Amino acid sequence: MPRAHLRAAGAAILAVVVAASPATAAPRQAGLRPAPSSPEAGLWDLSDKAEQHVRHSAELNSDPALNAYVREVACKVAAEYCEGLRVYVLDRPFFNASMAPNGYTEVWSGLLLRCEDEAELAFVLGHETTHFAESHGIEAHEAMKARANAALVVSVGIAIAGAAAAAGAATPQSAQSIMNATGDLVDVVYLAQVAAFFRFSREQEAEADQLGLRRAVNAGYRATAAADSWRGLMTETAASDFEKIRKQDARLGIFDSHPLTATRVSALEAQAKTFKPGGEAGAARYRAAIRPFLGRWLKDDLRRRDFGETLQVIDRLARSGEDLGVLNFYRGESYRLRGKPGDVALARDAYAAATGQPDAPPAAWRELGEMRRRGGDAANARAALEAYLRVAPEADDAWMVRETLEALAKAG
Amino acid sequence: MRAILKTGAVACLMVLTACISIPSAPPGPFKVGGAQVTLGREWSDVSAIMPGKVKQVRVLSIDGPLLNRLYLSGGLAPGEPLIKAPAKDKPTPKVRTGMTSAERIEFVTDSIAAMDFQRVEAAKPRAARYGGQPAVRFDITAQTSEGLDLAGTAMAAEIAGKTYVILYLAPAEHYFAANLAEVEQVMASAQPGA
Repeated sequence: MPRAHLRAAGAAILAVVVAASPATAAPRQAGLRPAPSSPEAGLWDLSDKAEQHVRHSAELNSDPALNAYVREVACKVAAEYCEGLRVYVLDRPFFNASMAPNGYTEVWSGLLLRCEDEAELAFVLGHETTHFAESHGIEAHEAMKARANAALVVSVGIAIAGAAAAAGAATPQSAQSIMNATGDLVDVVYLAQVAAFFRFSREQEAEADQLGLRRAVNAGYRATAAADSWRGLMTETAASDFEKIRKQDARLGIFDSHPLTATRVSALEAQAKTFKPGGEAGAARYRAAIRPFLGRWLKDDLRRRDFGETLQVIDRLARSGEDLGVLNFYRGESYRLRGKPGDVALARDAYAAATGQPDAPPAAWRELGEMRRRGGDAANARAALEAYLRVAPEADDAWMVRETLEALAKAG
Repeated sequence: MRAILKTGAVACLMVLTACISIPSAPPGPFKVGGAQVTLGREWSDVSAIMPGKVKQVRVLSIDGPLLNRLYLSGGLAPGEPLIKAPAKDKPTPKVRTGMTSAERIEFVTDSIAAMDFQRVEAAKPRAARYGGQPAVRFDITAQTSEGLDLAGTAMAAEIAGKTYVILYLAPAEHYFAANLAEVEQVMASAQPGA
């Protein structure tokens, strides 16, 4: 069975599984752990499983300094829960963070790439802490249980069907592939349950905005960061290359069922005015923490191939005037990969801007040479390619650059 | 609940009624579009069960696609991908006119990333020949989402406006080396379409 069909079936099941609405629960106490027999224990088991999975994930960013930094910010806005928080940075190019009821916390690189300063990160983590502290996930638990029971029925059905199909398969390989495919579908059902924990009501999102901002301000951060953060996301969504995405409202996370709206931004702006002006931005500290990963994360972001969004992210990062070598290089990469009419010149100019900066990656000279070659500027193309060989004499692609230089020389 | 059971029943029926054919690819000539390679041993053509399959690309395996997979492309024209996009707003890399060798490497590595592999990197690009025509050969490292290390090797060439790719991926431990000699022979035997 084509995996696409399985995914379609999974999506249909997911839509049904996540359809129920949550009830209300009491605020969480610091250090709260559920009794093994309590209804909440199942929720913790699921969170434990997700955490176990992430510990072995290829997407786990294990850099100690980055993880310590993000945890430090989380602990500033969630001081009373700090001891129980386990923060994992994942290299996933999407804006997302979550805090499970057991303290397992994910912060994705796509979020870190999109915050302009520490205050914005603090607000987002404050928002997630509010979901955690106000037990929003647990409020959904009763509804979740109903969904999980239904999901179990479906999972068993899929597993049985998969086994039956595999038994009739022509070869061991096809049997394995069928089992793999049905395994994925079971995973889809499981993921739907996990996702359900992080699908909060409109009221819960508004509360998380309000209390998240209060947490960030109480930790000493600038109050305007909240609205700035959401506005940045909305601007990025509007810049998407894809009409379908542009037509959707921006969302806080991939599991978020309630879009960011002008109303939410306005509410945060109004709330910010109730606090004393000022507060810390932590911009320099924040940029220092993410700087070593800018190139890798931008490369990951480009692999989403939504160049409009990536260019918007780069523009936002470039506003501080820092890291312009790396940022202009990836701006050039965005135009080169997008390949629209006029993009060769835009890429060329971005690469040229990068090479004027001390932090330019060596590849900026190579790509500048290539864009000049495509633009018919052979003399300056040669100059840039020769500069690349000077900057990166040991590059393993130097032979390709020399070939291009030879071809340019022959051409004239 | 009725809706859930109904949806589940449909999903179960879809699995039960599926017809999956995994034909053998015996030793000898194997054609993909106009291109041809010579297989030194029997492989299974698992193209039908691979996500994102496209007409101009065949995927062969010996022990199952998680343990070794060999992508063979016929000539890909500009605009054609190695792996089909799952949705319009989730595009996969496509061949572009006038790609450099570096961009052909990027096309392959970004296509691997689009297969949901992580940390995909190319290394050691070197000059090679595809059917006597200039090509680029390179090594690949990647990881599955569960953290399993993968190794790979690939060759890409543009011949008469078409892009030809041979890509071999397998777990770095044991499986990659186990069939590398066979893959080297396959690459050496490759002939582009007319």
